[in-house]
Amino acid sequence: MASYIIKRLLAMVPTLFGVAVLIFLLLRVVPGDVVEARYIGQGSQFQSQELMQLERKKLGLDQPLWRQFTSWMGGLLRLDFGLSMWTGAPIIEEIRLRFALSLQLAIMASTVATLLAIPLGILAAMKQDTWIDYAVRVFSIAGLAMPSFWLGILIILVMLIVFRWLPPMVFTPLWVNPWENLAQLIWPALAVGYRYSAVGTRMMRSAMLEVLREDYIRTARAKGLALKLILTRHALKNAILPVLTIISLEFAFLLGGLVVTEQVFNLNGLGMLFVEAIARRDYTLTQALVMLVATTFLLVNFVVDVAYAWIDPRIRYR
Amino acid sequence: MANMAKLLEVRGLRTSFATAAGLVRAVDGVSWDVHPGETVALVGESGCGKSVSALSVMRLIDPPAGRIEDGAILYKGQDLLSLSEQEMRQVRGREIGMVFQEPMTSLNPVVTIGRQLTEGLELHVKMDSAAARTRAIELLGMVGIPDGERRLSQYPHQFSGGMRQRMMIAMALACRPSLILADEPTTALDVTIQAQILELLRDLSRRFGVAMLIITHNLGVVARYADRVNVMYAGRIIERAAAAALYARPRHPYTLGLLRSVPRLDQPTRERLLPIEGQPPDLTRLPPGCAFAPRCAFRVARCDAEAPSLNEVDGAEHLAACWESSRLAGGARA
Ligand SMILES: Nc1ncnc2c1ncn2[C@@H]1O[C@H](COP(=O)(O)OP(=O)(O)OP(=O)(O)O)[C@@H](O)[C@H]1O
Ligand SMILES: [Mg+2]
Repeated sequence: MASYIIKRLLAMVPTLFGVAVLIFLLLRVVPGDVVEARYIGQGSQFQSQELMQLERKKLGLDQPLWRQFTSWMGGLLRLDFGLSMWTGAPIIEEIRLRFALSLQLAIMASTVATLLAIPLGILAAMKQDTWIDYAVRVFSIAGLAMPSFWLGILIILVMLIVFRWLPPMVFTPLWVNPWENLAQLIWPALAVGYRYSAVGTRMMRSAMLEVLREDYIRTARAKGLALKLILTRHALKNAILPVLTIISLEFAFLLGGLVVTEQVFNLNGLGMLFVEAIARRDYTLTQALVMLVATTFLLVNFVVDVAYAWIDPRIRYR
Repeated sequence: MANMAKLLEVRGLRTSFATAAGLVRAVDGVSWDVHPGETVALVGESGCGKSVSALSVMRLIDPPAGRIEDGAILYKGQDLLSLSEQEMRQVRGREIGMVFQEPMTSLNPVVTIGRQLTEGLELHVKMDSAAARTRAIELLGMVGIPDGERRLSQYPHQFSGGMRQRMMIAMALACRPSLILADEPTTALDVTIQAQILELLRDLSRRFGVAMLIITHNLGVVARYADRVNVMYAGRIIERAAAAALYARPRHPYTLGLLRSVPRLDQPTRERLLPIEGQPPDLTRLPPGCAFAPRCAFRVARCDAEAPSLNEVDGAEHLAACWESSRLAGGARA
């Protein structure tokens, strides 16, 4: 098992390198750079070329590509993301709190999605083609159909009107004040988790239906086991893997893609930062964000793979 | 009371499945019984309703498609069809054990052998986990799996097909049931291992006085291991006899066909093996007459008009459902 884990961790290195090359080149293929973005932003397209060249030189954008790439890589190896091309501040400072917020929100939303998807999927499977099954289906599809920002606005309005209470609007890190923190993040987590539970619920339902048709379930019934034990001991372990996969794939998106939800709930997460960084052609910041999300994604995938091996003994040590 | 002598008596069992193609009458008014300690065989081609018969006894026919429409299943004098689901769970595994056809898929791949063996013991015999483990190791030894201690923590994929089937047998025997339903216990195995498994089943059933229903499509198996035989065709029993009598004097053309289609160990065969011509009938549209008539060499006009019932042909122990069974009485084997 230990060697398997080490092997998997090492396998992440070439993947991350590939991501780095790709994002590095993609950013530079798109026309325009941070200098142009800044001056165009200020409404004066006719800035002197010299001034702009000077600025580029300061940012190192005049260097040959391989030079830029190796110095970026060198920094990454020392876990140094460098400075933001737009603000000039260290990227790590820009990202730190936002990453903490987005990571926590993604984890909470995934947890909500899992806690909804697994029981609802099992329920729908057990009550296949009854009104309960249809009710679960409607509930899931409604979650998909409602944009989570809209649901978010609804939540805020309901709390304001019914409870005369508003969730905190300023982010407090979990380690500073857990209550403030949760009081703020639980609502977007519910709104987003509900939406992303839909696919997981469908997956859980179909996986469960499939597993319940397996021969070993019949064997378990022939032993006289009660339904509850058959479900928990014999069916769930076999049916849960695809659901884990789906939710872990969604996780990466939740980490960096919640632009609108962040705005509704006034959260300074990675999503908005991502959009800004790209719009400003802030190469270093965009690169750092992409690497961060990619690494998290790979790590989550890795955890799921280990969970697979742990749940299904046939996979182990391969 | 004759009933009391019987361990299991199935009376007029009718089980059907609602499918897109229509109602499949998988088991169509079937009666058979098993005496304590005895081994009874249920024989027939694929799809004739053998598995459905056994699953009906266990009440493992899944609604809404499948339904036991009619009949009685008397186990130790009590009708299993009248039990609640909860009462029925006390019968499954405790009173009646089952061995399934597919050892590769009938064990849960993600649950340890030990867990799968002990869960029945903990449930039915109320053993604590230590006692259940000890018993599980003993059971593995009984079915010929040495080194049980280590085996308990393994998973099914670490077992060969034959070992899995031994494990299934251990599971079926765990709570000392009075009856074991073995549904084609060897069909999925190598020929050499088939014999070992059948010997094992016979030895254990003798040792513990467990009655057994062996389901098979292989009459060769029947001859060696069964006391009595029920031959099934298209959801009905068409012949029943003591194993020796059935072999020596089959009284239904279908049984005769089956005997000719398998190699026989008791005769030096230079005869060619003759498969039965034609296909088994579509169970959604059974003919009004005898279901075997379209494939039968002994067919007469009456066969298409009227289905024969199972009648005594040679004493009370030999029954056949054939209008022409008397023609088979005197050496129709040629
Ligand atoms: N769940 C089900 N739904 C619909 N039809 C079924 C179902 N189970 C069994 N049948 C039908 O019932 C008939 C009898 O099936 P059964 O499994 O008892 O055959 P069998 O004699 O055990 O055959 P085999 O030797 O292939 O195991 C078949 O025609 C089958 O198609
Ligand atoms: Mg079968």
